[in-house]
Amino acid sequence: MKVWPLQFRKLDENDFLFSDDAGAFFRSSEAFLTRYVENQLSESDSAFLRRGGHAFDDIGDPAFVGFASRWTQRINSATPLGYVILVPTLRCNLMCDYCQVSRAAETAKGFDWDETKLAQVLALLDRQSTAEIKIEFQGGEPLLRLDLLEAVRTFCRRKFAISEFVVCTNLQDVSEDAWRFLEAEDTFVSTSFDGTSKLHQTQRTKTATAHEQFNANLDAALHRIGPARVSALPTLDPSDPPEPTDVIAAFAARGFGSIFLRRVNYQGFARKKYGLDRSHQEWTDYYRRFVRALISHNATAENTIEEYYLSHTLRRILQGGHHNHVDLRNPNWLGVDYLVVDFDGRLYPTDEARMVSRVGQIDLSIGSLNAGLDKERISLFNLHASNFDDPDCVHCVYKPYCGLDLIDDLSRYGRIDIPSHQTEHCRSHMDLFDFAFELLYSDDPNVHKSIASWLQVARYSPMLAQRHS
Amino acid sequence: MIQLQLKVDPIPIVEPLVVRLRTSLPGSSTTTSDHDARMVSHDTETADFDVNGFSLRVHTRHYKSLDGDVVLVVPGRGTLHRLIRASSNHNTLLITEQCDQKCIMCSQPPKKYHTDMFDQFLQAVALAPTSATIGLSGGEPFLHKARLLEFLRKSQSARPDIRFHILTNGQHFEPSDEASFKSLNMASILWGVPIYAADRSIHDRIVAKQGAFEILERNLALLAKAGAVLELRTVVLNANITELEELANHLTRNLRFAHVWAIMQLENIGYARMNWDAEFCDTSKEFDGIATAVDLALARGLRTKLYNFPLCTVPRAYREYCTLSISDWKQKFLSTCDDCRLRSSCTGFFEWYPENRGFSEIRAQ
Ligand code: SF4
Ligand code: SF4
Repeated sequence: MKVWPLQFRKLDENDFLFSDDAGAFFRSSEAFLTRYVENQLSESDSAFLRRGGHAFDDIGDPAFVGFASRWTQRINSATPLGYVILVPTLRCNLMCDYCQVSRAAETAKGFDWDETKLAQVLALLDRQSTAEIKIEFQGGEPLLRLDLLEAVRTFCRRKFAISEFVVCTNLQDVSEDAWRFLEAEDTFVSTSFDGTSKLHQTQRTKTATAHEQFNANLDAALHRIGPARVSALPTLDPSDPPEPTDVIAAFAARGFGSIFLRRVNYQGFARKKYGLDRSHQEWTDYYRRFVRALISHNATAENTIEEYYLSHTLRRILQGGHHNHVDLRNPNWLGVDYLVVDFDGRLYPTDEARMVSRVGQIDLSIGSLNAGLDKERISLFNLHASNFDDPDCVHCVYKPYCGLDLIDDLSRYGRIDIPSHQTEHCRSHMDLFDFAFELLYSDDPNVHKSIASWLQVARYSPMLAQRHS
Repeated sequence: MIQLQLKVDPIPIVEPLVVRLRTSLPGSSTTTSDHDARMVSHDTETADFDVNGFSLRVHTRHYKSLDGDVVLVVPGRGTLHRLIRASSNHNTLLITEQCDQKCIMCSQPPKKYHTDMFDQFLQAVALAPTSATIGLSGGEPFLHKARLLEFLRKSQSARPDIRFHILTNGQHFEPSDEASFKSLNMASILWGVPIYAADRSIHDRIVAKQGAFEILERNLALLAKAGAVLELRTVVLNANITELEELANHLTRNLRFAHVWAIMQLENIGYARMNWDAEFCDTSKEFDGIATAVDLALARGLRTKLYNFPLCTVPRAYREYCTLSISDWKQKFLSTCDDCRLRSSCTGFFEWYPENRGFSEIRAQ
């Protein structure tokens, strides 16, 4: 019997967590670790490892093929362009404290696509040979240029067999025409809602009148479009976050089933105002507190709520696949299936990259509408797309679930050769995985209930949390 | 029950005849073929079709329901077989009645002799409605592997729009078949393969063939490598109800390449009728053996479905996994079902379901 390489991490004084490259995991003791390292596996060790899919006899035998197929499912293969973020204008009618992009005043000139740019964007879309496309309209406030949104949507509906549109709007001013645009079945609304009205007003809407207007529009969106096609994301300041229960109550009251907690971003205006991110631990503590509060809420709630990134992480741990989040996939191809077109026609691999570049600290653009994609730069980025041969990650028990985030590294450190363990991406994901496994191995029935609802299954299975002595 | 065979007046043919019945005049959108038999007249009991100058008299009171059906008439017999019913999603061609296993729940117990009907089946496929899914079943179809693969190749080249759902015990593949598989459009074939337990001795006992499990595992890996879209099928029996969670573990670890796992209730026919009292597991009373398996399989990302489960026998949280799996022609409902709200989304029962020896909890919802 041959055992696939196991990575491990000490969990507490008794236990280690083990995982193989295809993502199967279990908890076991130091004694087992010793037997494993010294090649002294007992019969019960062997039986356990076989049953868990951690071992095979011959290359190509069923256990080998089974492992290989699970490993393959964890690989994000490069797919054709299918997700495009468009920034038709940088102008905005709000000025939030931590605006994620440098924004321009509502009346400013020269911050919108002109006719030529629109034609170029449509031409770029027209060159794609895929059947499916997702378009995300970002800004600024994209609804300020409803005409451009209409033009793109009409074009995509004709060109692609399946197309979907997400409008990231502050819902501040929504004209009747805009509502009609948003009501279409293939169109989704993504807005910011900072968890509580008080906070949202301080951080974003500022005046009571403006806040009332937002509130009314959010209600109208839920009413006219329905909670299935409206999502709201809170952006929180780790040094002064709202009470989790208040945020949960506010989201529950509106019928949202998902909260994607984001801490104030390190880029854009926020970076200037909040300075360096010294708040890692604060955030980790808050995040845990928040999820614990969610679990208590879910224990009795009829409609449970998830924290989006945690659910996503759990699915990646247990199921593989789930390559749909650009911050967490492996390899994390840049400039391949995903593209951002800025208001000025510059192209970026991710929205983060656009923001970093706007601050002027480093240029992460990968071409422009005029010049096309800069293939050379793209291949340079993709030299370091996977964690397979990263000297830190190869030994990490979380490697099968994780991925690299080159853009984040570049934005923070201006380079990509920082040892993984020292990057914020690694530290925050390490914390996240630790927490996810803590929950998976919990004995608390309330935790089980939440996990089941996050995975959208009827019941938590104790078999998910394999143990071996 | 929908009739799959109809009485006909014998016609003077020497070869089996495959034609498509047409009871209405073709609209501009309907394709026509030399193999169309047009209805020329009918009364309340019969309908007469013109088959290249011969008259074919079919005894039926529902001639309209035959429009578009692809039928087979065998020389010297007074019956017509509705091979492909245009109005149904449940069309299956019986490739052979021979088999090398003797599963204790087999609904189609093996017979010794085989009649090769591939040429007729190929003709039938050519006449099938656009984008139809056609089941290929047995017996064990791959006992006639060379002919079957040839049939698949020809069918796919004549009718690339047709999808096949092949039921096979997975015992008859060799590494050398990989090339044949790869020459097929594997994306339009669903391979339904039974597996009853992760414990080889239990599986072997259920299929009554020593060593079957080992061959099965090897061949599932082979199919996976050839890009097969796999449906693993597990009939629930008293013999394996306590093994399902462990089977879920096995599937999600070693056979995770499967596309879907179908957990199936028993059909009271064939050997299953003989073994019903010993093997029927009343899951309306005790569902946990299935629930634990479904919980694990889904959490690990394996699509899982429940076939042949009446909705009221399944706890609410698991009903979304039930499918309308019982074929229209052998489906029935009980008198209890008359005022059930779920009836239209419920798969109901097999025609031969024994009410007095079946589920203890059937209740209108
Ligand atoms: S980035 Fe960190 S957490 Fe992720 S695999 Fe690498 S070492 Fe592990
Ligand atoms: S009463 Fe009949 S129709 Fe209703 S759920 Fe039960 S079996 Fe189905």
